[in-house]
Formats: sequence, C-alpha cells, structure tokens
Amino acid sequence: MRTVEAARASVRARWPDRGAVVQWAVAAFTVALVLTPIVPVVLQSLMGRALYDGIGSFTARNYAGLVTSRTVLEAVGNSLVFGVLTTVIALVIGGGAAIAIGRTDMPGAKLFGELLLWPLYLSQLVMAFGFSIMYGPSGYVTLAAQAALGGHTPWSLYTLLGMAVVAAICEAPVTFLYCLNATRMADASLENAARVSGAGPLATLWHVTVPLMRPALVYSAMLNFTLALELLSVPLVFGSPVGIHFLSTFLYDEGIGASTPNYGLVGAAAVALLAIVTLLVWLQGRLLTNIGRFITVRGKATRPGRFPLGWLRWPVAALFALYAVFGVLAPLTGLALRGVTSFLTPLVPLWEVWTTQHLRMIVSSESYVRSVVNSVAISLFGGALATALVALVAIVTQRSPFRHARALEFVALYPRAVPGLVVGLGFLWAMIVFPPLGVLHNTIAILVIAFTMRYLPTGLGAVSPALLQVSPELDRAARVSGADWWTTSWAVSLRLLKPALFSAFALLFICFFKDYATAVFLFAPGSEVIGTTLLTFWIQGDTGPVAALAMVQVLLTFVFVYGVRFAFGVRVYG
Amino acid sequence: MADVVIESLTCRYGDVTAVDNLTLTIADGEFVTLLGPSGCGKSTTLAALAGLDVPQGGRLSVGGEIFFDAASGRNLHPEQRNCGLVFQSYALWPHMTVQANCEFPLKLRKVGAEERRERVKEALELVEMERFADRYPHQLSGGQQQRVALARTLVYRPRVLLLDEPLSNLDARLRERSRVWLSQVTRQVGLTTVYVTHDQSEALALSDRIAVMNQGRVSQLGTPQEIYDHPADPFVADFIGSSNFLEARVAEAGTGGRVVVELPDGERLAALTGKAFAKGEPVLVALRPERLGISDSPPAGSGGNVLKGRLTGRSYLGARTLYLVDVGGRPLRVESHRSIAGPDVWVEVPESTCVLFPKEGAGAA
Repeated sequence: MRTVEAARASVRARWPDRGAVVQWAVAAFTVALVLTPIVPVVLQSLMGRALYDGIGSFTARNYAGLVTSRTVLEAVGNSLVFGVLTTVIALVIGGGAAIAIGRTDMPGAKLFGELLLWPLYLSQLVMAFGFSIMYGPSGYVTLAAQAALGGHTPWSLYTLLGMAVVAAICEAPVTFLYCLNATRMADASLENAARVSGAGPLATLWHVTVPLMRPALVYSAMLNFTLALELLSVPLVFGSPVGIHFLSTFLYDEGIGASTPNYGLVGAAAVALLAIVTLLVWLQGRLLTNIGRFITVRGKATRPGRFPLGWLRWPVAALFALYAVFGVLAPLTGLALRGVTSFLTPLVPLWEVWTTQHLRMIVSSESYVRSVVNSVAISLFGGALATALVALVAIVTQRSPFRHARALEFVALYPRAVPGLVVGLGFLWAMIVFPPLGVLHNTIAILVIAFTMRYLPTGLGAVSPALLQVSPELDRAARVSGADWWTTSWAVSLRLLKPALFSAFALLFICFFKDYATAVFLFAPGSEVIGTTLLTFWIQGDTGPVAALAMVQVLLTFVFVYGVRFAFGVRVYG
Repeated sequence: MADVVIESLTCRYGDVTAVDNLTLTIADGEFVTLLGPSGCGKSTTLAALAGLDVPQGGRLSVGGEIFFDAASGRNLHPEQRNCGLVFQSYALWPHMTVQANCEFPLKLRKVGAEERRERVKEALELVEMERFADRYPHQLSGGQQQRVALARTLVYRPRVLLLDEPLSNLDARLRERSRVWLSQVTRQVGLTTVYVTHDQSEALALSDRIAVMNQGRVSQLGTPQEIYDHPADPFVADFIGSSNFLEARVAEAGTGGRVVVELPDGERLAALTGKAFAKGEPVLVALRPERLGISDSPPAGSGGNVLKGRLTGRSYLGARTLYLVDVGGRPLRVESHRSIAGPDVWVEVPESTCVLFPKEGAGAA
C-alpha cells in the first residue's frame, strides 16, 4: 500500500488552483474580447469630437443629432420596412420549403433541400453581385425578358421590395433549417392521431403539422428581421446607387466614405443599431425559452412519415425547381459567366465575348492574390484559434465550478447582438483608444480577433448542445479517480467533444471566409480579404474581375463544404 | 484504518434540506448501506463523501483525515480524497478502452507502465473481465460495464468504496446474480464500503449494517436482522417489507413486554414488545403480510391472535398469493403460499410479529 500513499501525496502536491487559473484566464480574455469593440463605440457616441483627438467631455448632442437628422430617420425607416418585407418573404420561402422538402413526397426533395441551403454558405455580397449581374437594369435575364416583352421591364431590384426579395433568398435557409428541425422533432403520434380521427393528409398537414411549426416560425422571423437590419451588401449594391439609405449603409458611408466624418453621429447610430439588435436578441431568447414548452422530445424517436401530395407532386416540384434555378443557380451562373466574358448580354453570343482577362488579372494582381491567401489563412488558422476559445469557454461555462460561469456565458453570447459593421468600427476605434492594440493595425491579426469576437456565439451554438449530451458523471468519475479539473477537461470532456469541435471549426471557417462586413473597417493594403477586395473593386466598377474573384470564393467554399462532408462526415449546416 | 466518520452533515439545495444534521460512523472494513426512497438524501451523502457536492455544515473524515470541516473551512477536492465511486450509470469514459479506463487513475498517480499493466490485469481478473480489455464500453453489456466500473475503481486501491445504486440499471435476473457476485468481491477486497440503494432486498443481502434514511435523517441504523425484525418507527416498518398498519389503543400494559391492544371494533391483539406503553395510549400496530397466517376455517386451539375477515381480492405472485382481507372495515394484506377460497377467512397474527409504535401526533389530537 506504500505506493498508493506516495501516489496520493503526488496527487495532493499538485498546485490545487490550476483549474481556477484557467477559468479566470478564459473569463478575463473573453470579457476583454467582447468589450474591446463595444467600449470605444459607446464612448464615441457620447463625445463631441473624434476619439483620436483624445477623450473629451461627454455630451448627449450626438443622440439629439440622431433623432433630428432627416438622413438618419429616413435610414431607420427604410431599414425597418426592408426588415419586415425581407422577413415575410423569407418566412414564406423557408417555411414552405421546410414542409414541402421535409414532410412531403415531392420528387427531388433532397436536391432542392441542398440547393436551398447554398446561399447560407456564400457571402451575401456575392449573392448580391450575382443578382445584380442577372437581374439588374442591364442584367442578362432582365435584357432577355425585355426582348421577349417588347422593351418592358417587369421588375426592379432598386426598390425596397426588390432588395427584400434578394435579401430573403439569402436568409430563407435560416428559416428553412429552423422549421425543418421543428418538423423533425414533431411527435409522429400527434399526426397519426389526426389521421385516425378522420383527417385526410392535407387536413392533417394544415391543422396539425403547420401549427406545430409556429414557434419555429416566430423564432426565425425574429432572426431574419435582425439579420436584415444589419445587412450591408444588398442595401449597398442596390440602394446606394438610387439614394435609398439604410442604417447599415449610413454607418458604412459615414465611417469610410465621408471626407470629414461626423464621428459622434456615427457612434450614436452604431449604438442605436446595437440597442435595437440587443432588444431583438433578448426577445429571441425569451421566445426560445417559451418554445421549449411546446417541444416534447420522446425517448423513442418516431420519425414522422411523409404526406403524399398526389397529383400536386409535380406542380410543387416545378415551383421549387423554378426557385432553385432563378433564385440560386442563376445568380451564381451569372457570376461565373461574367467572370469569363468581357461583357454579358443575351444580345451577343457568349463565345464572341469570351475572355480570360479577368482570371488573368486576379492571378497577376497582387492585391487579389493576397486577399485570397489572407482569407484562407484567416479562416484556417483563425478558425482553429477561435475553435479553441469556443472549447475553453464551453467547458468553463458548463463544466466548471467557476463562480461566474453564468455571467461568462452571457458575455460570450452577447456578440450575437453586435452587428458586423459595429464590430469592425469598434475594433478600429479600439486600436486608437487602447494604444497597445495599435500594433495590430493593418495586420490580419486584428481581423482574426474581430472575427473571433463576432462569431464566438456561433461556435458556442455548435458546441454547447453537444457538451450537454456528455454526461456530467463522466467528469465526476474522473475527478473521483484522482484527476483535477483541468486534467478532467483535457482527458475526458474535450476528447468527447471532438466531433462537435470539428463541426464548430467547419462552421467558423465558413463564417470567417465569407465575412465582409466586419472587415470593411479593419482591412488595409496588405491585410485584404476576399470580401473587402470584392467590395472595393465593385464600387470602382470592375465587375468582371469581381465576378471572377467571387467565383474563386464560391468554388473554394464548395470544395471546403463538400470536402469536409465527404472526408469527415461533418455537415456545416443542417 | 479507513473508518468513515460523518458528523452533523448538512446539505442544502436552495430551500431544500437534502441531508439534515446526519451523524454516522462506519468502521474500517465495514459494509454499510444507506437505504431509503428517492430524495431521502442518500445519494447526496455519498456525493458529499466523494467531494462532488460541498455540504453546508458538519464534518467528514476518513481514517482520521479530515475531508471536509465546515467549522475550519477545510474541503478536499474529489481528486485529493482517494475514494472509489461506482456510478449508477457506470460513467465509463466512452472514448477509452476497458484497459485505458482502468489505467487512467493509475496514470494520474504516476504509476509506471509495467506496474500499471499488472494492476489493471489483476483488477480485471477480479471482476472476470480480463478478456474484454481491448473493448470499448459501448461494446459491452450493462452487466459487463458494471464490472469494469468496479474494476476501474478498485485498481487504484481507494481508501473507501462508494457505490451509488450500481445494480439499478440491470434487469431483474442479472441484478440478483450481480448481487451475489458484488457481495463476494467486496468481502474479498475488504474495503470500507458505503452502498446507496432504494432496493431493500439488495440492502438486506449485502450489508453489515443498514442506515434507513428518510427526509435527510437516519431513521434507523442496525444490522439487516434488527431492521427487519425490530423497525424503529412506522416509516422503517413500511419501507422494509411494507407492513400493514392498524390503529389501536393499549388495553393492558402488561408485564414482560407483553401488551394487549384493542382495535376500534373491539377485537384484541396481544403483542410482544420491548418498549413500554401506558394503558389507554393510542398506538399503531405494524403487521408484516408474509408473517400472517390465513385459513378458510377458524384455526383450532391455537390460542393466539385471530382476526376474522372477508376476502376482497387476490393477486397471484407465483410462489405465493397476496390476499386482500377486510377486517372490521380496514384492509389487510396477507401473503401466503396456501390457496384460500373465502369469502370468510381467518387471519392468524403471531404475538411476536406485532410491532407497536406510539401514534404520532396523538398528544395533539
């Protein structure tokens, strides 16, 4: 027994507070990460002069300016109308697709389900460019339609409704995924009970299945509205040219474009956006706790059957085929064609305008090549670092005796409420307010940090449910057998979390790779990413190279998404 | 020496007091069972011993070493206590093989590779699982997982063995076999063992002593025999063997521990009891169903207690039959291997099986 006594002593001799050190370090880092961009924005909103002139006296003048500025009020009005329209359209598309694809015998359901998700993998900037190339005033499809209709243009994307349709196609996958999950969780016996009581398939669908989806619809409505409010790409591409301004474009224009920006007003507008989105996210949280009351998960999963559509099968499938072709494939095809033509129009055959000049240009131009390299590096290494942070935050908040675990969780999830533009602006100003951060100026490190802050909740969302599945008794067994908290976390919890961490990494990779809104304020020559390069050159009117670069991004995304799925069985979404 | 001393242990969750001022001493090498219904505080006591829950008050020590002392604020982390705990869910680490599961605690103790292999082999042999060393937990049946969980705990020779309902996830037949096996293994290793269960037959079969717990307190501490034959209060009598209870009043206080009580309908029962009762005192009479006799005709010349009743129901249990008898308006359960037709039946109540308790709250009423 002497060896055991000696071993006991060695277990005891270990510094007892190693776990506490890790917990406090993770907490301190997370709090610093989340507060760094928010503090300067709030400070600036309360100051009369620019932050880099030093901290001056505080004033409420900026907020007064905000509510009296016609430009701002108009922008807020436009943002709200745009948000509502986008939400309604996204709900119809996403909810309808969830039922048709998830619950009926529509032919090709699997394929349509896959195509419908594509906009989620891709940057909304790329989608917006695609739509512009195909459906803009001189777009390929627009011109073809004009030719067929005798000069009449049946649509315009340069209206609030037009922009809302584009944004809704980008956001519909969110609704689709939430509703699909809801229908999967649904208890089949509820539907069977309706059938046995005499309801036909369609009556059951309408009276039982759809009402059961209601909580998911309400939740995704909130989410879509929030996303629409902070969306930059679509308003910038379609609104700015015709003078329709939004909160997001106001921030962008004033923060970057204006020669003498009104910093105080920009700060106040950013805080206003932050406040609105915080309120919405808080409401989502409330809704989610309430949704829990409607979901009954049975021990034995009885997968609900599929409703036979009968003769409606083919018309419904045709509807989804049209959506997939015109809503998803056409914009991407447009980009691809624009990238290899000197100009794209139905009036001239493609082979006459065929060119490799755009491709050659992005390969030979330093800033194009650098932005691709930077994007890949940020997504790979930054994504891995962010995944490590997500793992640490998850085990500290869920699996440690850390006293402030709940508070830490709240802080770590708060970036959900911080729009990408505000994150970018905040880090930009933070480098001014906190001089030590200045060394990160013009490096891709600041982008990695900003992306990590913004997508921390996304990563946690992928990891937390998985950690909940790991029985706490496994931790407790390790503790009793002689492992301290850190050894337990390392040897047991994190090991069991490996698949979830893989998924989180894949998700963060995609988020980092397609981001443009966070980066617009932070990039500099040398630290460009694909998103910022696309935006810069689009504004300069270089549509061809932009289309070619966008296709590079799309192809790399698909290689990654389908690569991890086939190689590791990791699904980025769904 | 690894005696376990629990002094005034108190555990609270918010407003709920799970363990209420519990004091219990377990001798070195003794097998003590904490027995009680769910929520009685037995698992909380075990978790407090292992260091997984921090109590609000009291003192815990094992072999003279203080694990927890509310007064001085001393609290050892679970990993510093060298306890062995077998979980209800077994808690085998699913990403490690049986071998790796057992090696992990030894690695933590910096035991060299060779000795590690030796000791894991030894432990797995003890639980007859040496052939499964390379399997993963999900490749094992419930009973096999339970054996591995025990081996993983024994491999580092803990000072005390804590078992939290280790048999409750097994099916009925396997549970019975594992009970016998567990009894043999624990006797063999001779560790001080604290066993938590809600299953009275496990407690009776395995334990040196049983602590019957109710609402965070120990209702009775004693050998299985004592607990069964002389329950300390109505709760114990009901929980172990589910007694019948009849309300009565003391008619003759008597001498030599013999008390005669009168039921509300005037029938009288004689009972042998060690306790003193005053004449006229309201009491509860506890009768174990399996110790009562039942017959179709009045038993001849026994001279003992006999109650006449009507048969109201029966439930065939296989080896025996449970009869429901109405005695003067009160239901009485009787278990017997005899086949009775009824409807008039006679229930024999041996004097020694009548256990009397003072009726609680009688003073107020």
